[in-house]
Amino acid sequence: MASYAARRGTNGVMMTLCTAAAVFGLIWLAIILIELFWRGFSGLSVDVFTKMTPPPGSDGGLLNAIAGSLLMTVIAVAVGTPIGILAGTYMAEYGRHHRLSMVVRFINDILLSAPSIIVGLFVYEMLVVTLGHFSGIAGAAALAILVLPVVVRTTEDMLLLVPDALREAGTAIGAPRWVVIRSVAYKAARAGMITGVLLAIARISGETAPLLFTALNNQFWSLNLDAPMASLPVTIFQFALSPYESWQNLAWTGALIITLAVLALSIIARVFGSQKESS
Amino acid sequence: MTAQSSILTAPTSIAIPGTRLNTREPKVEVKDLSFFYGSSKALKNISLTLPERAVTAFIGPSGCGKSTLLRTFNRIYELYPNQRAEGEIRVDGNNILDRSQDLNLLRAKVGMVFQKPTPFPMSIYDNIAFGIRLYEKLSRSELDERVQRALTRAALWDEVKDKLNASGLSLSGGQQQRLCIARTVAVRPEVILLDEPASALDPISTAKIEELIDELKTEYTIAIVTHNMQQAARVSDLTAFMYLGELIEFGETTSLFQAPREKRTQDYITGRFG
Repeated sequence: MASYAARRGTNGVMMTLCTAAAVFGLIWLAIILIELFWRGFSGLSVDVFTKMTPPPGSDGGLLNAIAGSLLMTVIAVAVGTPIGILAGTYMAEYGRHHRLSMVVRFINDILLSAPSIIVGLFVYEMLVVTLGHFSGIAGAAALAILVLPVVVRTTEDMLLLVPDALREAGTAIGAPRWVVIRSVAYKAARAGMITGVLLAIARISGETAPLLFTALNNQFWSLNLDAPMASLPVTIFQFALSPYESWQNLAWTGALIITLAVLALSIIARVFGSQKESS
Repeated sequence: MTAQSSILTAPTSIAIPGTRLNTREPKVEVKDLSFFYGSSKALKNISLTLPERAVTAFIGPSGCGKSTLLRTFNRIYELYPNQRAEGEIRVDGNNILDRSQDLNLLRAKVGMVFQKPTPFPMSIYDNIAFGIRLYEKLSRSELDERVQRALTRAALWDEVKDKLNASGLSLSGGQQQRLCIARTVAVRPEVILLDEPASALDPISTAKIEELIDELKTEYTIAIVTHNMQQAARVSDLTAFMYLGELIEFGETTSLFQAPREKRTQDYITGRFG
């Protein structure tokens, strides 16, 4: 048996190794964020939010890209969330012991980890090729397909965390099953389910590949869903690879805006999550 | 064994020999009830009668089937697949195991309170109003009155009247359990099932719940499962002793505890097993 001193020594070595590993991992994140903030903030101005993406060599903003991203994200969430919540509800409440749930769960897990470019190609084949042109609606569809598995998964997980005793209590008072789910189970799982939707938004807000194949890009102001639509990630992709300095600077600023938006969503998700613990 | 099975198959009126409760109307009549978890038989041909407006206690060691029996009275077991009951349970003469029985109406009539307090994740007021709103359309003032009456009935009103909008989860364990009783009472059931309602509570809260049971039996037929034999002796009029899925002895509480007819009953209540 090792002596106390030896155990203390082992503990010290292990703790140092773990700390070093954590620092090593975080250092890259820190470098990326510092670079992003430094470059992004310098380009941040009112113009960014009021002017359209410029032609090469001149100044401009990101308004059309921000608007396109917001619009497609809102549509994707509005379509993906109800379907995802209903599917998750089926798996956790009605079909918990059915084979269909197992099949759906398996496929959903595949969809959850599928590369987003595959989703983009799929929507390209389904919508872009059939309609004959790139469009905002195709971009929204691709994003909705990415939202779906995240919402399905978190809804199911959160509902499974609701104790059966609570369902029994609701049932014992004479409430039909759908009332128990709506008024008791959803209420108990609400914080986690909202967090799931926020995480899904965070996931799609940086997606570039599926939008390249679907919404493409648009240099001008357009909210027409039947036409190509600009988005922040695609604009960043295009501008960052360009040789023009003004475009590169706008790409940095766009990246900063996405990062801050995702950060804000994460903080909101955290707040909702901690509300659950305190209630 | 033969003596015992003759008790079980005898007409139910004899199962409560010479008691004053015989004059009460039967409220719940169980006949030849068996219960299955998948293929394993958890209740074996149970027959007994719960008289109206009396407290019937179910005692016995863990796994004897007393909670299972209670859970057949409102068919709450139907939430789970692979659980089924065979036989007859008559509430006011209607066989509730019948397929045509409306389960939600049955559960509004036969209320249940569980071992762990289970307040819904909503305000104290809404916890009570939830059940009322399911079946009745009331004006705000009528609803307020019903909520107050239910909370008063459950001896909780004075403690919560100033914070009806607070979360039901903010109450102490004992208060939560009384909230659950109030919630059950609010939908005006006729039978109340209590599944070890005090086992997760401290002695003071337990005493309050027991007082409450004594109060409630003037109006409701009550069935209570308990691990605590003193509690059974204190609160019940009738006691059923169960063992390994069988009803071993059923009779007036005082006689069952003072002069059990079965050796197994005696062994259990004197603490020789279980």
